[in-house]
Amino acid sequence: MAKELEGKNRRVVSPVADICEAEGKVILRLEMPGVSKDNLEVKIENDELIIEGKREPTDSKGRFILRERRNADFARRYTLDDTIDREKVDAVMKNGVLHLTLHLKEASKPKKIEVKSK
Amino acid sequence: MDLIKWKPTELFDPIAEFDRIREEFDRMFGMEPVITGLFDRVKSPAIDLVENDDAFVLTCDLPGVDLKDLEVSIANNVLTIKGEKKDTREVKDAKVYRQESWFGSFQRTLSLPDAVDSDKIEAIMKDGVLKITLPKKEEVKPKQIAVKVS
Repeated sequence: MAKELEGKNRRVVSPVADICEAEGKVILRLEMPGVSKDNLEVKIENDELIIEGKREPTDSKGRFILRERRNADFARRYTLDDTIDREKVDAVMKNGVLHLTLHLKEASKPKKIEVKSK
Repeated sequence: MDLIKWKPTELFDPIAEFDRIREEFDRMFGMEPVITGLFDRVKSPAIDLVENDDAFVLTCDLPGVDLKDLEVSIANNVLTIKGEKKDTREVKDAKVYRQESWFGSFQRTLSLPDAVDSDKIEAIMKDGVLKITLPKKEEVKPKQIAVKVS
């Protein structure tokens, strides 16, 4: 997944993700520390949900004593199926965590068919 | 001047070796994610520490940690970052498909050299990244001595 985006200047890693479904919604939680709202891009292309976040590298003016953070941008892709409503996606970025809410299509919810008698 | 306990990596550590092999396999098969977040390394947040002429600058990844759940303190030149990472998703009876992150409390302690002026420490939290600037005391800053021609 992330490999396709490599080859650009910086390394790309997958953000940590949690996915759950509740109340007719699919909720994604992606951890992207250091990514601000402006450096984040969430888009749907064909059947793919693409999440890309760029972040500033640690200011390296000086000598590194500890270097544990990954010097990389974030990217992750998901394939969406037909049950997801592409027009209704909510994205909230808070404290370096992206919350995406995908709504399921009304049509994919169980529907009762009324049978009429003549 | 030792700022932190140095752990020699070249010494053979069988447990670390297993971790390394597992990581190698994960990479080979493209298993995601490459990082496991806050608790990636030994269940403590990842830190970058840079020393320059005026200060030590610490950068720490703390995604999803609320300011009120974070505590930074300094005592006897020991800096402690501790807090709690909570799940803020407000959903009931969720069907979990994938859970990669980790919630709970964390702590990280660093020994600082005496040279840090503990009264002038500045800590800023932005986009889930904590940045602490620890200025050096005046007397330890490198000074330029002008040499005059007599």
